[in-house]
Amino acid sequence: MDNRTQQDFEPKIIAFVCTWCTYAGADLAGTSRMQYPSNVRVLKFPCTGRIDPVFILKAFQQGADGVLVSGCHPGDCHYIAGNFHARRRFAAFRKLLEFIGVDLNRLQFSWVSAAEGGKWVEVVTDLTEKVRTMGPMVEFKELALEEQWSGAIDTPELKEAYNAI
Amino acid sequence: MNNHAALDTSIYTAVTEAIRVEAQRILSEGQVTAVIGYAASRRKGSARPVIATDAVAADKLIFTAACVNNLAVYLTKAKKDIHKGGKIGIVVKGCDLKALIGLMGESQLKREDLYLIGVPCSGVLGSTMQPATELTTATIAPKCCECDVHQPTGCDFIPSVTVPSTPQLEGKYSAEIARLEALTPAERWSYWKEQFAKCIKCYACRQVCPFCFCEQCLCDRNKPQMVDSTPRPSGNTAWHIVRAMHLAGRCAGCAECERVCPMDIPLNLLNRKMAKELKELYDYESGLEVLEKGPLNSFAEKDDQSFIK
Amino acid sequence: MQNFISEQNLNVLLEQLIKSGKRVVAPRVNSGTPLYEPLSASGEMDLKELPRRSAKEAFFPVCEDILSYEKVGLNVKLSDVDPARFPETVLVGVRPCDAAAIPVLDAVFSWDYKDQFYLERRRKTTIVGLACTSSDDACFCSGVGLSPSTTKGSDLFLTPLEGGGYVCETYSQKGEDLVSNYKELFVDTTSAKPLPLAEVRTETFDLKKVKAWLDNNFENSYWDGIAISCVGCGACAFVCPACHCFDIVDEGAEKKGQRRKSWDACGFWKFTHHASGHNPRDLQPKRYRNRIMHKFKYYDDKFSQTLCTGCGRCIRVCPVGIDIATIVEEISHK
Repeated sequence: MDNRTQQDFEPKIIAFVCTWCTYAGADLAGTSRMQYPSNVRVLKFPCTGRIDPVFILKAFQQGADGVLVSGCHPGDCHYIAGNFHARRRFAAFRKLLEFIGVDLNRLQFSWVSAAEGGKWVEVVTDLTEKVRTMGPMVEFKELALEEQWSGAIDTPELKEAYNAI
Repeated sequence: MNNHAALDTSIYTAVTEAIRVEAQRILSEGQVTAVIGYAASRRKGSARPVIATDAVAADKLIFTAACVNNLAVYLTKAKKDIHKGGKIGIVVKGCDLKALIGLMGESQLKREDLYLIGVPCSGVLGSTMQPATELTTATIAPKCCECDVHQPTGCDFIPSVTVPSTPQLEGKYSAEIARLEALTPAERWSYWKEQFAKCIKCYACRQVCPFCFCEQCLCDRNKPQMVDSTPRPSGNTAWHIVRAMHLAGRCAGCAECERVCPMDIPLNLLNRKMAKELKELYDYESGLEVLEKGPLNSFAEKDDQSFIK
Repeated sequence: MQNFISEQNLNVLLEQLIKSGKRVVAPRVNSGTPLYEPLSASGEMDLKELPRRSAKEAFFPVCEDILSYEKVGLNVKLSDVDPARFPETVLVGVRPCDAAAIPVLDAVFSWDYKDQFYLERRRKTTIVGLACTSSDDACFCSGVGLSPSTTKGSDLFLTPLEGGGYVCETYSQKGEDLVSNYKELFVDTTSAKPLPLAEVRTETFDLKKVKAWLDNNFENSYWDGIAISCVGCGACAFVCPACHCFDIVDEGAEKKGQRRKSWDACGFWKFTHHASGHNPRDLQPKRYRNRIMHKFKYYDDKFSQTLCTGCGRCIRVCPVGIDIATIVEEISHK
C-alpha cells in the first residue's frame, strides 16, 4: 500500500497540546530558535481534559504515523484538574488500543510546561525518531481500503484516491 | 457427544410464582404504576420483556433461563417513552441490578422511584436465537460463569429460594483475554479486524446497553463526523473502540451487547478487558454499592503516570 | 428441464466457476457465523445452516461507493463508480425464502428510478436455489404463501437427494446456460429419492385480512402495546431478505472522499429525523408500525407483493424477542 521507502519516509506526527502549558512551551522553543523536527503538526486545545480519545483515532485514520498528547504538569492545570482527568482517561485508552493491536510506541503522552522549550524539543525529537525507525502506520490506512465483500469492486480510481490519504 | 452437563434451573418455577404474586400485589395496591418483567411469547421456551400494568398481565410474568434481557434499559433516558413517572417495579437478576446501581450513580435513576424484585438466578442462556435450548455448561451465558451475584441483595423483594450451588465453570472471558494479551499487537489487530469486519452497524449493541443512554450518540452526529457511519471495516473499528471507551468504568457486565450481536462479535471481551484494567489501575469494580463517581470521572493526585514523559 | 448432479460434481462445478473468474457466493462459516460470502474454494461451502444475513447483499451491498470526489483548484472532480466493473456472480445454495425475496426487490429497484447498481449486479448474477430441509419455530414461509420448495427467484433450483446429490431444475435462460455450459457434470437420471423437506407451520396468514386491517388502523393503540419493548436497533431490517432502505453519506476529508450508500433501518430514531430537529416518528411504536405497514400494506399497495418471505431471521435476532409472525397473526384475527 505504502510505497514510501524507509529512506524517504518522513513520519507525520500529530500533537494534541493544551494551550496554557505545552503550546506555550513549543512557542518558547520556537522563539528561542531551538531546532526540532518539522514532522510535528500541533493542534491546540484549551486543556488536555478536552482531548477526546476519538481525536487520536481520527488522527491515525487520517494518516498520522505517531500521536503526541501533551499538557500541563500535574497541579499546574489552568482549570485545576483537567490534566488529572486526562491522565486517567489516557491510561485507560492506551490499554484499549493495545488490546485492539495498536503499537503503543506510536502514542506518546507528556507534561511540558510553558518554560520547558527544551523538553518539548526532546519529546518531539524522540517520538519522531522512534516512529521513523518503525516505519509508516499502515493498519488504519489499510482498513480504510477494505470493504464488506458485497460492496468491493476493483476500481483503480478509488484505490488511487485512498492511497493519496 | 461432549460432556456438557445440564444445569439445575429447578428454582425458576418457584421464582416465577413468587414474582407473579408480588407483582400482582404491588400493582393492585397501587404501589407501582407498572412492573417491567418477562413473559413467554410464541416460540417454545421463549421469553420477552413486557411492561405489566395490571394484575392480569402480572399473572403472565415468568422467569426462565431464556430471561436474558437486562430490563434496566427500559428505565433509561433513551427509552423515556416508557418511564412516565410514578414508581416502577422491575425484575432484576444480579447482573442487571449492577447496571441499575451504576445508573443511580450517574444520576439517571432514583432508588426511591423503583421497586426492585430481585431474582435468585442460577444462570441464563448465552443466546436466545433458539430459546428452547436447555441450559447446560455449554449453552450458559459466559457472563454467568464469572457471576458473583447469583443472589442479589438490597432489593425490595427477593423470592425466598436458595440458588443451587453451581458447578465451577470455566471463566471464558478471563481465559480469552489472557490468550489475546499473549499475542503480538499485529496478531491482535488481525483478530479484531476479522471480528469488526462482520459488523453491519445495526447498533443492537448500543440500543440494548443500559449505559448507552445518550439522547444523541456521538456516532450519530455528522458535525463533526468523528466516526464514519457506514458499515465498512474502518468505521466499524472506530465505532467499537469508541463504544468500549465510553463504557470503560461504567459497564456493569450484563453482556447484552455481545448476546444481541447478530454477527456474533465478542463485544463483551472489550468491556471485560477495560474492567480488568480499571481494577488494576484504580481498584474499581462495578458492584452493588452506589458510587457518586466512577473511575474515569474522578482522580487521585498519586495516580500512575509512568506512561507519561 | 430436469437433471441431476452429484455432490462431488457440484463441487467440481463451483471450482470450475471460480477458476473461470466468476465470483461464487455461497453459505460459508466466517469465524463461527454462517454468512453468504464469496468462496475461494468449493470446500468452504457449508449448507447446514441458514446464513445469518440474507442473500440480498449480493445485489444490495451492506455498503458501496457510488462516486468519489476531489477538489482540484476551484473545481470538483467527480468519478462515478462504473457498474461494468461489478463481477459476474453465481449465487449458490440460496434458500427459497432468500431467493423469493429477490423478485420482490426487483420491483422497487426498477420502478420509477432504475437503480443501476442493483440492476447491473442482478443482471450479472445467476441464482442457484436450494430446497430447504431444515427449519425451526421462527420459520413461517408457509404463512406468507411460500414453501421449502418454492422456486421463485431461482434460475436453477436444487433439491437435495437421500445419500447426496441434487435434482436440478432450470427456471430461466441463465439457469439453462449454466447447465449447458457444464453439461458433462449433470446426468439425466438417478434412483435416489429427494430428502424430506423442512417442516413448516401449518397455519397460513390471511394477508388480505391483514392488509384490510392495516388500511384502517394507522392510529391504533395496538401499536403501542407491541412495540413498547422495541429498543430501536436495526438488526431486524439488516438481516431481512426484503428490507431495502438505504442511506447515502459522504465520507472522507474536505479535499477528497467518497459518496457511499449503506443499509438503513426504519427502527432507528435517526431514520426520520429532520434537519429542523423535528421527528415525525418520535416514538418507537411509530417506527415499528412503519415496519409492519411497509411489509404488509405499502408494498402491497404499490407493487401488489408482500415484503416478507417468512425466513424468521428478524424473530431470531431481535434483542427483545419481538415476533413478527405473532403480530401478523394477531392482526389477521382482528
